[in-house]
This record gives sequence, C-alpha cells and structure tokens, in this order.
Amino acid sequence: MAAAGVATLQHNFFKMQPSSVSLLPSSHSSFCGTKFNTSVQYKRKVCQPKGALNVTASSAKKILVMGGTRFIGIFLSRLLVEEGHQVTLFTRGKAPITQPLPGESDEAYNAFKSKILHLKGDRKDFDFVKTSLAAEGFDVVYDINGREAVEVEPILDALPKLEQYIYCSSAGVYLKSDLLPHCETDAVDPKSRHKGKLETEALLESKGVNYTSIRPVYIYGPLNYNPVEEWFFHRLKAGRPIPIPNSGIQVTQLGHVKDLAKAFIKVLGNEKASKQVYNISGDRYVTFDGLARACAKAGGFPEPEIVHYNPKEFDFGKKKAFPFRDQHFFASVEKAKAELGIVPEYGLVEGLTDSYNLDFGRGTFRKEADFSTDDIILGKSLVLS
Amino acid sequence: MVGFICNQNTANVKEVSMATLLSSSSSSLLFTNLSPQSLSQISLPSLSFSSSPSLSSSISLSSLPKRFSLSPTFSKNLSLSSSSSSSSSFTVNASIASEKKKVLIVNTNSGGHAVIGFYFAKQLLGCGHDVTILTVGDESSDKMKKPPFSRFSEIVDGGGKTVWGDVGAIGTILEGLTFDVVLDNNGKDLDAVRPVADWAKSSGVGQFLFISSAGIYKQTEEPPHVEGDAVKADAGHVAVEKYLSEVFDNWASFRPQYMIGSGNNKDCEEWFFDRIVRGRPVPIPGSGMQLTNISHVKDLSSMLTKAVENPTAASGNIFNCVSDRAVTLDGMAKLCSKAAGLPVEIVHYDPKAIGSDAKKAFPFRNMHFYAEPRAAKDILGWQSATNLPEDLKERFEEYVKIGRDKKTMTFDIDDKIIESLKVPVSV
Repeated sequence: MAAAGVATLQHNFFKMQPSSVSLLPSSHSSFCGTKFNTSVQYKRKVCQPKGALNVTASSAKKILVMGGTRFIGIFLSRLLVEEGHQVTLFTRGKAPITQPLPGESDEAYNAFKSKILHLKGDRKDFDFVKTSLAAEGFDVVYDINGREAVEVEPILDALPKLEQYIYCSSAGVYLKSDLLPHCETDAVDPKSRHKGKLETEALLESKGVNYTSIRPVYIYGPLNYNPVEEWFFHRLKAGRPIPIPNSGIQVTQLGHVKDLAKAFIKVLGNEKASKQVYNISGDRYVTFDGLARACAKAGGFPEPEIVHYNPKEFDFGKKKAFPFRDQHFFASVEKAKAELGIVPEYGLVEGLTDSYNLDFGRGTFRKEADFSTDDIILGKSLVLS
Repeated sequence: MVGFICNQNTANVKEVSMATLLSSSSSSLLFTNLSPQSLSQISLPSLSFSSSPSLSSSISLSSLPKRFSLSPTFSKNLSLSSSSSSSSSFTVNASIASEKKKVLIVNTNSGGHAVIGFYFAKQLLGCGHDVTILTVGDESSDKMKKPPFSRFSEIVDGGGKTVWGDVGAIGTILEGLTFDVVLDNNGKDLDAVRPVADWAKSSGVGQFLFISSAGIYKQTEEPPHVEGDAVKADAGHVAVEKYLSEVFDNWASFRPQYMIGSGNNKDCEEWFFDRIVRGRPVPIPGSGMQLTNISHVKDLSSMLTKAVENPTAASGNIFNCVSDRAVTLDGMAKLCSKAAGLPVEIVHYDPKAIGSDAKKAFPFRNMHFYAEPRAAKDILGWQSATNLPEDLKERFEEYVKIGRDKKTMTFDIDDKIIESLKVPVSV
C-alpha cells in the first residue's frame, strides 16, 4: 500500500500545471526542488533522492488532524491520504472541508475527497472533544492549529493508547538572542506571544506521551493565509515601491509549506523523533531586502524600488506596516537534517515561484491589498526630500 | 590529551615512541614523550595491555625516557606475565589517536591566522602526533616577539619542533624529513603555496590541508555561506584550492573567519575592550545588525585535527572553519561589555561619511559575513565548542592581567567619527 502511495504521490499531488509561464527550466518536475545553486555540493552522508518521499514503511493508521482545512493541513492531509492512512479532519467547518488545489486534476481531487473524513466541532468545547475522540479512537493526532495547552488535555485524556502526538509549534518560542541561529536546545521565552505553544510542549513532555514538536519559522507557499509573500506580490503587481523598516539587512527565514508537510510525514511513526523538537524551515536564510528581490524574481517583476524608513518616526495605529518581526529571526534546521534526513527541497526563489504560479499569479489571494501604511511612509519620505 | 599505545613487536621501549599503533589492539601501549605535567593530569586507574614475551622481557622502568615519570599507582599495577590475558587492567582517560601522524605546519609570521598553527600544533601534540612548525621568515625577526610566536616554547615543551625559513627553500630546510600531513597556514595565493605544495607532493606527503578564507565567498542575500557556494573567481585562495585539487589525491581546504583566543596575533575582541574599559563610545559602521562569525581558535584546531585523524572522510572537501553561531556587530559589543562587567555605548555611523579612514576604523567587514560549518558537522562529525559569552570573560581576564586596560592609547579615527556625528548633515 505504501509503495502505491508513493507512486500516487509523485503523480497526483505534486504534478501541478502552472498556468503562467514558469521561471523554472522545462525539465524540472513541479515537485522536485532543483537545487538553486548548481555548483558541486560537498559530499554528504545523507543523500535524499530528488522528489522521492522516502516513505517510512508505517502501516495504515487512523489519524486525526486538528485543523487541516486552511494551509499546512491541506497539504499534509493529502500526503496522509495518499499514503493510505484513514484521515479525519476536526474543524468547525468554517472553511470548506476540501477544496481542489490549484492545478490539481479532477481525478486526484475526487480521490482525496472521497477518502477524507470530517469531525465537526469546536476544539474549545473540551467535553465534546473528549467524548467524540474517545468514541472514535485514533492512533495518531496531528495538532496543526493548537495554541493553548488546555486544548490538548482533553485529546490526551480521550486517547490513552495514542501512538504519537505530532504538534505544530513555532520558532517564535525562542528567546531573542545575540547569537544565532536558534537551535532546539536554546532558551525559550516564557513571555513570548507564543507561550501557549511552549506550554503545550511542556504539557506533552510532562504527560509522558510519545510526542514530536515541529517549530516552523515563516511558512510560505500557495494558499498561505498569512500575508508573507502576498504582501510583496501586491506591491510588485501595483508597481509600488516596497517600504522596508530600518536597514533591510535583518535576516529572516522562510520554509515552503510542502517541505513542512513532508517533514510532518517524515516524523510519523519515527522512533528517532520520539519526544523531540525540530526546527523546520528553509535551508538558507534571507535578508528583508533580499526577500523583496526574490519575490520580484519569482513573479517575473522588474527589480523593485526599496524604501527604508525608521518605524519609530511613524504611528500606524493598529496596522502592521511590514509582515515580519523587525529583528533577526532564523533557526537552524540541521537537527532534522542530521537525525531524520529531512532536507528542504525548495530554494527560496523557486519556492516563491511555486507560490506565485499556483496562487497569486492566478489572481487569488487571501487579503486585499492595503497600501495605507505605505502611503504614510512614502508621503513623509516625499516631504523630507 | 595523551595517547598511550604500544607496538607489540618493539623490543626497545625507546623506539616505541615512533611506532604506529596497531589498530586492532585496543590494549597496547605506546610511551610517548610526555612532559611531567601532562602525565600527572592523566588518571591511570587501571591498565590493560597485551603482553608478548618480547615485551615483558624488555620493559623495565629504568629504560623509560627520563621525562616519563610514573605515578606510584602506575608502577604498582604494572605487572607483566607471559600469559595472553593481562593480570591488571589499565584504562587511560585520553583520546587515543587512531594512527600517529607526522604533521608539518607551514605558518604565517603575522596576522589573524597565525594563532591557528599554534593551537593546532599543541592539539596534535596532545593527541600524540609528531609536529614540526615552519614559520615563514627569520627566527630573529621582531615579528617573533609577538604572540603566538613568543610562546613557541610551549610547542617545544610538548615535543614539537620549531624551524624558520622561506617557503622557496622548504626542500632544503626540511631536508631528509618526511611527513604524512602538511598544513599550509601561510599562503593567500598560488605564488606562496605552490612551492610548499610541489615539495610536499614530491616528498610523498599523503594529505595536504590549506587554510583558505571564508572571505572568498561571493556576497549573498541568502546567508549563510555554505560549502559549495559561489566564490570570487579572482581570489588568490580560489586558485590555490583549485591547484591542490589537481595535485593531491587527498586534500582539504578550511575557510575561517574571525577568531579569538589567547596567543592571537591580531586584535579582535581587544578592539572592543580598549574602548569599553576607557569609557569610550564604540563606533560601529552601518546598522550594527551585520552578522559575522567569531570563533574560539580551539574550534579551528579541533576541526583540523579531525581532518588529520579522518583523512578519508576529509578528502576532497571544503570546510567552513568557524563556530556554529553568528553574532551581530552590536551583539559582539554587548557581549564584550558583559564580559568586562562594564557598560557600553554603541554609536552607529555611515562609513562613507568618514572617507578613506573607514577601512582602518573598524576591524570587521561592514556587511553580513556569515558562514556555517555544515560540512565539518556532516562529514567529520565535528562539534563546535565556542561559547562567546564565556570565552570573552576569559579573554577579558587576560586583557586585564597583561595590563592592557591601563595602557595609554589614542583613538584618532574614533574621535573623527564622533565629531562627524555631531555635525548635522544637510540633505
């Protein structure tokens, strides 16, 4: 079953037909991540065949995904179904349970749609969570949308024989540091905006359950509901300058959602991943200025005009003038590479190209363009010069 | 760290120090040239060694090298029998080199990289290898009065040989000597390295190592620099790496960045300490957000040692010779301030505003200059030991110990920078 799953995987999920001109060489399969730099890489012990999923031979499991209908979960659940697992999505049903992926064939979509199961409910209704999950019984839980530790307790209580709890945490838990990149052993910030994630990790550890926690940095890719690449694409499409706070050399890190989904699959049933935390993101980091230029390349736009400004000189009210933390923020993904052989396939420009070709470039996006903060910044700049 | 290994076939213990370890025997002993201090640091609770008839008849305590002083425990436990099973077991708390190597280090006589050869020599000696360090130039030169050269007696005390000369005459200087490994920690271009490489090749050197530079990487907007990334084609080091790959079957290149460590020939953290202890502002060009890599030099010597002891794995590879964390320029100033227990005032300036003085004004590159040691970790199983906050505390202790905090200094360029910041710049 697993072997058939892999074949289907290559064929269905990742064979997207981009409608706009792809910037990638024609021989490039839409799934395989061509290494961006073609110079000889050093000899590595861990070799990942390009595009291959290296599916661990885990038998079909009954899997519950908390969430699964917006972004990460959409890609993850497809992989799980294609691998032959029985997958149930627990959501309130606000977003459609299934939607065809851009470029996905009808055949593939229908195959997925016919197999995916839905458990409708509010995960904050702890009693309902406990009874419904206990009634069903699941082997593995993928918790993609959990924010607070209290949300996890009823799940653990309902499933005493749970084989693995796989949690989507965040690199946002790391304590800000002068020494980077963030590594899994680094100090975390109990006061951070993401302290719920930390508390969840601590709960999982204390309960003795077999858990794996994944800490992504900034996630990007088609269907992203967080305006990461979309923020740049709006401005590039409108031919507007890109306002970037301060020096523009702040270093951040993006990870493609498909690489993240594959990482989630890789830890499934993997003993080495038991009670471990992994940073999962792109292989390289990028400066803010560099990201603006990478987005331009991805969408086939001319090199953008970048305007730097001092955010302290402005009052944007409640609006965010820039979608990233104004600081260095990146994490080492070497642990996942060395211990589990998880190697991100998408380079930055090619990943952004994938996102552009399958989403923004087709005219789809989640948030309408809002240039109000840009105009405040640019207005003041105009006055000064 | 000392290795204790003995060649079973050697009758005379004095010759044993040059013998190589039999890899199959975990219980054999080699008495290396040890200084009394290093021996006393080794705890020898029990010893296991295979005994052969020849061994038992030749070893007597009086025949051991004079510097080899034995602790009472050791002599008590040393009992030999002709039976194959040892009557006493002897474990050594030391890393035993898999094979003893004869290593030549060709070392620069000045600059930021000079200290690498010093640490590497000492580490190799500690691991039981044979070390010769050839420093370029004259032993009588004023340059030799500065660290690490002023401390070369430590290499000699550890059993190493120190020689001086020019690379053009390397064949003459080292006449009659053969080496398994050569490290060129001197040349920045082919003119300087070729004579060493050619001589090494002709004299049968098995492994050639080169200290290159992470400065040859092309600037990128997607840090870090990873081995295999594009380099500046016209860089001297690049031509050297290419030549070595053509000449040697077994070669490796190491690309370092900045380093701290006792014995450093070039200021690094001292630049910050000088200003912090005198209550002077620390002028940093640009935003101060530039990332760089400042390693403790022991990370570099441990990586080189790993390559010597794992030649097959290391062969044909480039290694970023750096610690595994980057620090911002502002961050470095703050860490130095913490290490000194004194406040710091950082002022940022536009280097363009001070013209030609910009290069001399600041000891680090004004850009992201950040490489990661991925190849060393993947291929050699190397781990970084740099801990900047702790290491800088040690560095500051030494800074004060040598009285540099009391030294009279002028800060002409700093003063110019601070002046320029006071004048409002018209748009």
